[in-house]
Amino acid sequence: MTKILIVDTKAGNLFSLRAAIERLDLAVEIKDKPPADKYGAIVIPGQGRFGTVLSNLRKNNWVPFLEEARQKRIPMLGICVGMQIFFEASDEDPDAAGFGWFKGKAERLDFPKKPMVGWADLETINSARNWPKEPVYFVNSFAVKNSDKSIATTIYGERFCAAIQQGSFTGVQFHPEKSAQCGSEIIRQSLTITGELA
Amino acid sequence: MNQQISSELKPRIIVCLDVDKGRVVKGTNFKQLRDMGDPIELALQYEQQGADELVFLDISASNENRPTALKLVTDIACNLSIPFTVGGGLKKLDDVRAFLDAGADKVALNTTAILQPEIIDQTALAYGSQCVVVAIDVDKDEQQNLGVYINGGRKLTDKVFFDWTKEVADRGAGEILLTAMHKDGTGSGFDTKLTSKVSNQVTVQVIASGGAKNEKHYLDAFQNGADACLAAGMFHSGEYTVGQVKGYLEANGLNIRKV
Repeated sequence: MTKILIVDTKAGNLFSLRAAIERLDLAVEIKDKPPADKYGAIVIPGQGRFGTVLSNLRKNNWVPFLEEARQKRIPMLGICVGMQIFFEASDEDPDAAGFGWFKGKAERLDFPKKPMVGWADLETINSARNWPKEPVYFVNSFAVKNSDKSIATTIYGERFCAAIQQGSFTGVQFHPEKSAQCGSEIIRQSLTITGELA
Repeated sequence: MNQQISSELKPRIIVCLDVDKGRVVKGTNFKQLRDMGDPIELALQYEQQGADELVFLDISASNENRPTALKLVTDIACNLSIPFTVGGGLKKLDDVRAFLDAGADKVALNTTAILQPEIIDQTALAYGSQCVVVAIDVDKDEQQNLGVYINGGRKLTDKVFFDWTKEVADRGAGEILLTAMHKDGTGSGFDTKLTSKVSNQVTVQVIASGGAKNEKHYLDAFQNGADACLAAGMFHSGEYTVGQVKGYLEANGLNIRKV
């Protein structure tokens, strides 16, 4: 496979993510501006605030690049806030507009303890059914409660959407790069997915 | 088992590694440090045993070792596929920033949090509460008074314990690492009563630390409100693997993360 692109959203270090992908024997490049080269898959990392990540992406002209990649069905993996930005909005920064690829918004959920930090099981459906049946590591204060693209849910106080999938796009609320072997396998499957835009 | 599990998060076992000059060390007291090995090798061993997280302490204790310490943190981030915290000697926001930028998932703040509590707010604002673990060293005297200590347990502060736990949560700590000094080294188990009180008082997760000697101590702590348990000695000595403790917890009905 051709190399994997990590979008540098300028909102946190990317060492763990890069290493997690490299452990799959894939070549990784990190770019803060849309590159001209072709990439086998694109990863949008999971660090930073909703509004900051969006404004950094817009400022660096990532929007047309990501739209085109979506149309060309290049596998894409959005992690945590890197998934939430493709919804319409978030309680974290109510004035910031998301990309709106998916209906719904990230909300401040009624977690028993905040933020949610730790390992939880997934209940998977559809395309996530090949994922390992092991817990994954969550770190978040906000999450999308319901999505018509949901492929996995989890419960912490209440049930929420843990992963979505549409076409070649996979979004995960947890951090696969911190989820041991299980996370590694989820990254592998997400970067090699082929799917039609529904 | 009738105990109420208040959340669907797995009870976590966290292994603590003390690092000095790039090596994992074990101190019987503050002066005699015994070399235990390479931090990354040991970290990977604990990951394979089933540790849910790791904490590296005193990694940054002295300024002259700073570049080495930061490189080590990046190496850990590149090798480990579970989360890790670094702590000890982080004196200002720039230190916190340097270690998070180098690849640490979280920082543990103890003395600095007491001396400049605003660093909790600042770190939470800049990086999110999930990055901030406030470590509290508490000791109970014969009159059952609780004292909050700093400087590695050497200096008593004027903090009122339950005010301080509330304050750190209000300021934006994501987790509280509660070390019961009166339990440390006793092998009589975690201070489950105190852990439970703090766990009920604040809506952040509480990590119990100090006093664990066997697998029953973990069960006891988790059944009494600990969200996570941290230990060093009983795993470093080879007496127990993390997997053995987890096996016991599972056999007793806890929903742990299996490896």
